[in-house]
Amino acid sequence: MIMKLKFAIIALVMICTHDVMAQSKTIQGVVTDAAGVPLPGAGVNILGSKNSASTDFDGKYFLKDVKTTDKITFSFVGTVSQTITVGNQTSINVKLVESTQSLNEVVVVAYGTQKRAKVTGAISVVGAKEIASVPIINAESALQGRAAGVTVINGAPGSSPTVSIRGLSTMGNSSPLYVIDGVLTGNLSGLSPNDIETISVLKDASTTALYGSKAFNGVIIVTTKKGKKGAGVLTFNTYLGSQSVSKRFDVMNTQQYLQYAKDLGSDLTARAATFGNTNTNWQDQIFQTGLMQDYNLSFSNGTDTSSSRYSAEYLKQEGSIINTGYERYSFRANNEQTIGKFTMGSNIGVSFNKTNPERSAGGRTLLEHAIKMAPYLPIYNADNLGGYQGPSAADGQDAENPVRVQNLGNQVINGLSIIGNIYGEFELYKGLKLRSQVSLDYYTRKDHTFVPSFRDGSAHSQGYSTTNEVNQFGQTTVFDNSLSYKTTIAEHHNIEAIGVVSKISGKGQSINASSRYYISNEIDQLRLQDANLSSNTYEENNLGYIARINYDYDEKYLVAVSGRRDASSRFGANNRWGNFYSVALGWNIAKESFMKNSIFSTLKLRASNGTTGNDRIDNYRYSASLAANYIYPIAGAAAAGVTLGDAPNPDLKWESKNDRNIGLDFGILDEKFTGAIEYFNNKSSDILFAVPLPASVGSVGGNQIVNIADVKTKGFELSLGYNDREGDFTWSATANLGTSKNEVVSLAPGITSVLAGPVPRAGLENFSRLEVGQPLFYFYGLQTNGIYKNQAEVDAVFGAGQTAIKPGDIRFVDRDNNKVINSADKTNIGNPYPDFTYGLNLTAGYKNFDFNCFITGVQGNDIFNAPLFDLQGMQRLFNASTDVIGRSIVANGVVTNPSATLPRALGANQNWASASDRYVEDGSYTRLKNITVGYTLSGNSYNKYFSKMRLYLSAQNLITLTKYSGLDPEVARADGNANSAGIDLGRYPQPKSVIFGLDVTF
Amino acid sequence: MKKIKYILILLSGIFAINSCDTKDLELTNPNALSPETFFKTEAQVQSAVNAAYANLQTRGLYGRHIFFALDNMSQENKGNPQLEGNKRPFLDFSFDASSDIIQFYWETCFLGISKANFVLDNEAKIKELPTSVLSDVNKNKFLGEAHFLRAYYYFLLVNRFGDLPIYTKQTIEGNARSPKADVYKLISDDFDFASKNLLAISVEQKGRATKEAALAYLGKVQLYLKKYDEALVTLNKVTGFSLETNFYNNFMDETEHGPESIFEIEYDEKIGVGDKWGSDISGTGAAEATFRGQEYGNLGWYNVYPSSNLLDEYEVGDKRFGDTFYVPGSKYNNGNSTMTAANFGSSEGNRRAGWKKYQNYYKRTDENQDSSINFKVMRYSDVLLMKAECENQRPSGVQTVAIAYIKEVRDRAGLLTVIAPTKDAVFKAIIHERKVELAGEQVRFDDIMRWGNAATEIPGSGFKVGKSELWPIPNRETSSNPNIKGNNPNW
Repeated sequence: MIMKLKFAIIALVMICTHDVMAQSKTIQGVVTDAAGVPLPGAGVNILGSKNSASTDFDGKYFLKDVKTTDKITFSFVGTVSQTITVGNQTSINVKLVESTQSLNEVVVVAYGTQKRAKVTGAISVVGAKEIASVPIINAESALQGRAAGVTVINGAPGSSPTVSIRGLSTMGNSSPLYVIDGVLTGNLSGLSPNDIETISVLKDASTTALYGSKAFNGVIIVTTKKGKKGAGVLTFNTYLGSQSVSKRFDVMNTQQYLQYAKDLGSDLTARAATFGNTNTNWQDQIFQTGLMQDYNLSFSNGTDTSSSRYSAEYLKQEGSIINTGYERYSFRANNEQTIGKFTMGSNIGVSFNKTNPERSAGGRTLLEHAIKMAPYLPIYNADNLGGYQGPSAADGQDAENPVRVQNLGNQVINGLSIIGNIYGEFELYKGLKLRSQVSLDYYTRKDHTFVPSFRDGSAHSQGYSTTNEVNQFGQTTVFDNSLSYKTTIAEHHNIEAIGVVSKISGKGQSINASSRYYISNEIDQLRLQDANLSSNTYEENNLGYIARINYDYDEKYLVAVSGRRDASSRFGANNRWGNFYSVALGWNIAKESFMKNSIFSTLKLRASNGTTGNDRIDNYRYSASLAANYIYPIAGAAAAGVTLGDAPNPDLKWESKNDRNIGLDFGILDEKFTGAIEYFNNKSSDILFAVPLPASVGSVGGNQIVNIADVKTKGFELSLGYNDREGDFTWSATANLGTSKNEVVSLAPGITSVLAGPVPRAGLENFSRLEVGQPLFYFYGLQTNGIYKNQAEVDAVFGAGQTAIKPGDIRFVDRDNNKVINSADKTNIGNPYPDFTYGLNLTAGYKNFDFNCFITGVQGNDIFNAPLFDLQGMQRLFNASTDVIGRSIVANGVVTNPSATLPRALGANQNWASASDRYVEDGSYTRLKNITVGYTLSGNSYNKYFSKMRLYLSAQNLITLTKYSGLDPEVARADGNANSAGIDLGRYPQPKSVIFGLDVTF
Repeated sequence: MKKIKYILILLSGIFAINSCDTKDLELTNPNALSPETFFKTEAQVQSAVNAAYANLQTRGLYGRHIFFALDNMSQENKGNPQLEGNKRPFLDFSFDASSDIIQFYWETCFLGISKANFVLDNEAKIKELPTSVLSDVNKNKFLGEAHFLRAYYYFLLVNRFGDLPIYTKQTIEGNARSPKADVYKLISDDFDFASKNLLAISVEQKGRATKEAALAYLGKVQLYLKKYDEALVTLNKVTGFSLETNFYNNFMDETEHGPESIFEIEYDEKIGVGDKWGSDISGTGAAEATFRGQEYGNLGWYNVYPSSNLLDEYEVGDKRFGDTFYVPGSKYNNGNSTMTAANFGSSEGNRRAGWKKYQNYYKRTDENQDSSINFKVMRYSDVLLMKAECENQRPSGVQTVAIAYIKEVRDRAGLLTVIAPTKDAVFKAIIHERKVELAGEQVRFDDIMRWGNAATEIPGSGFKVGKSELWPIPNRETSSNPNIKGNNPNW
């Protein structure tokens, strides 16, 4: 390599000294990034000529027949292109600066691409470089904090994150549509983040309307990496790390618990002594430090007429809860060939995954068991069948040993997903292209659970082993045929038009089987003993006709019009077809002559208006059918029962949404400072919701799907970016802020309010409510106002003689002053939506060092903290928070510690069973989501081993600032269903993790 | 030009592939039967009837909550600290309209009523079936089962809630409440229809409603309405039964459907228990076991124990005591094990006993969440005691005749019967006898309510006259049915 360089220098010197006699000459040089790292595969083109080259491994290029008047353009994906006039030079070395938002950048949109300058809708783009800067497990996480108005919340290992765009505007599933290389799908779980070239988030109807009935919640388009022109590039990425949950609830130890039990009427001192007064910290027993490792290898290659890229990845992630984890093997092959006017290609990804999920028992989560377990019980007891210790009748409680629940037997979910397409494109006439694409999204999921016989005490035992199998498969095929035309008339009028016919067919089946085996624990397969069997299948079809026309005058004045006519088999014949449209206008002010000398390199005003639809309801709900899964023992055998099923609604129609968006993009000082401001004002109409029917009508499902409500959602989004360099020091900062407020505008006739949402703990009631003038599913419950200190205070409210409410009980606010606390006293006790969400991303580079830091947060939301019910509810004897030691103590009808904030134990039903502000907390937080430091090795001394190697250290979720008392304020917002917004059920908390990684390009 | 033609043909061909199949959009649910084509065979008619039974065994009723709610309110139970918070308020009447137990009770009963109405709504279709497909006897019997079950659920409801919305056909529109008297009219008519159309217990499959069960319940309803003469006539038609010689045979799995049994709520874990933690109300899936054994068992979850109020009622020498309760020294596990004082939680000294009735300890060392023991919700001894009450209360009643019925029940218990033949003395004897004979069988609270003697029977419990007689209509109903206004008195 050193020889190579010497030779190059000598050649250079010789060329330089040579008089410029010739009309044409040879130009060479090196293209590097801002940090001086060579860029292989960068484009070197002479403007207006076919003469071009691309850089090699070492970023070098060589261009013959160059005239002094030629202008050479240097370009590389993700950087700002540079154009240089050749003049006297024979060697041109170029540093391409990374672009935050380049005007010439190509943005992937629905059924095509668009130059950034021509975009008229609301789109956020995240590129490969940003994705690579931080190690992530799943592709969705790449969007976190990087796209204004997009929230991403991760759950347990192997689960798909909850993603929402621009807040909530529907009542059911609020996750966006994903499109991977044109394949419509529900999540990105099978995709390795390393395979992603760009992610486009389409946020308004002018960009999403082309996906019609599926685009209601926004669209996320993922484009995978393709082979690049130039010599083959081999890259290897790996990281190793660990993750753990450090926060614990402060629960009572054995000594405290024994005293508490005694106060509640159970003297367990002798019982605890039989276990040697052990002190088990059950939370410590279920959390662990999990190891993560990831290996990724890819090879890409390209010529003028073909490109290919192959990649393979292995990921293994141990969860932060014992015996949970996720393992994934994924493979991807992307190929494209061009022969004359015909291009054909395919993108295919296959992934195998294995998940060990968190298990639950008795309708309680693992964490709930860990809180409630008696601390004096040991984990293991060799005398018990199965080897674990759990409570017996003598312990006066029935929490389950969480270690036994999670570790005895096993649950494994094995999945396979194949997602891919094959397409062909033919240029029929100059600018007129016909394209056909067939796409497939296929998955299988095999969920196997085995629990051997055990007896861990008298409260929980099982005299047989159980095996449970749930096998599912699903497939979606999409057949798209499109005709597109692109032309320029009279030099200024640019026209692009596309028409598509799209047919989507989906089907799937689920088979459930379970059995018991009394004879042995050694067989974990199904046996014909106490066996249960059922299966379920579905089919659905969609048909769409799509058209779009884009027009611009000199890229100055922009017009885009699009429409889709869509049919879905989920609706009855009355309302099967829906029409969706959009219109968008844009004005590139910076291109006007009067702006010529302004500081603005970009100034663009754009506005859009359009509609999308939503068909996400269960299949077949428009027609009446029978429910057949009833069993009653008659004469010693199962008598099968059939009755009328869910209440049908033949008049069901599309949920539709009208989006209005205004945006202003600006770039100052040659894009050193960039930004965008967006305002949106959307109205969802005829929102589909399963409205509870009166219980007394006895309808099987208890609800009917109705087009119930109109909802307004509006908000602002602000993105700002700044990048600068000073010598070897480069840095950039991007910040984004989003607000989204929703309000129910109207409800269907006859409905004034609806109480919905989950019942988060047995015995509690639901509290998520729909009402005109309020946000969707706000919390509706009783207000508390301290504790009754004595009988006189109680009698002053309820009158003398009643015994249900006593001193030490919670004083609920009697809003209607009728001396009865009931549902008429309920009111708004919380709003699950934040006032705003924000993200701040800082990157810096100095010589070979790079640095990235990323902060995200939400402000002003309320969380219903269901674990607080376990910790402070005191509805019966369980272990609980140490806070309960300071509860109200009542002696002779008087509270002896009047400063206590918690009520008496085992008190009035209302204390704990009523949804009240007792469980509602401020959910605001600021989180240092990621901090990464990297060092890149490149240059001559390494060239014989590799062209570039980056080492980095990264930490995630390191610091969280919040007043929320639950384990994780972020997880509380994790549920794809709108009606459980803001309810923390005590699920898998976000771990802290530390990762060491290595990226090598050979 | 030729090229363009070729292209157009190609194009139209491709687009035709996509769009011709609009019939694909018209799909029928492959998982479910269609109501239009149902009620065509005997098996189909029978399955519609079967579905209405399934709500009896939900957790909302005999699967879990009903025995807590009723045995707690009647003060037959005391609660241990582990008693769950939603069940505890039934000990001191501090529950309210947000109670999930009240909600589940309401919902599962009305689901059962709706399923019965599904059969009755299709009466014309059933009647039209040729007799070669379904005999007239069976047509009437199936309709009779639907009437029986509708009446049974309404009877459970009217005792708890008083005035009720009446549904005699399936609908999704919520009705307003009708006066209690109208509800009783529907219940009486339904049981009456059932008693005339159901099969006799001697020929019907075990577990189904029978002519005798319908008569026994019709008699009970008439007794509740204080129509003593009518009730006696009805109850006298309940024939062919005798008391078990061994009282405990009524409460074991192996001796179900014995000579004393008139109607049972069926459980059989062998049929499947996979859905026992599923819905509290729907009756869907295999949930063929009750939690009763685990919930009450003093070696199990031991949520409740028999109260002194109940234990003290037993006379010395009453053989039923040892069959109803375990005390230290009781044998269990086929006689292989003995209860010790520690098995009752000795800390407080007031847990003198644990429940034995409906427990599986007689043959096992442990309870688990699956008990297959049926609830004998109508036993012949109940009929005898109801007859005694009717005879005692009716204007021309003869007290010695009433005493003879009581004696039949007491003889089996190994007790002498010495009762003064006065109306008052006989009534007191009936109160006592029903309390000890039917302890823990969810009849006592209803008895106290119809007798109106809560002040003397359950003193100091928190029972509030003028309020606690009825449960509040649950919030689930009032928030979804605009036609239900207000609630029960003082709720």
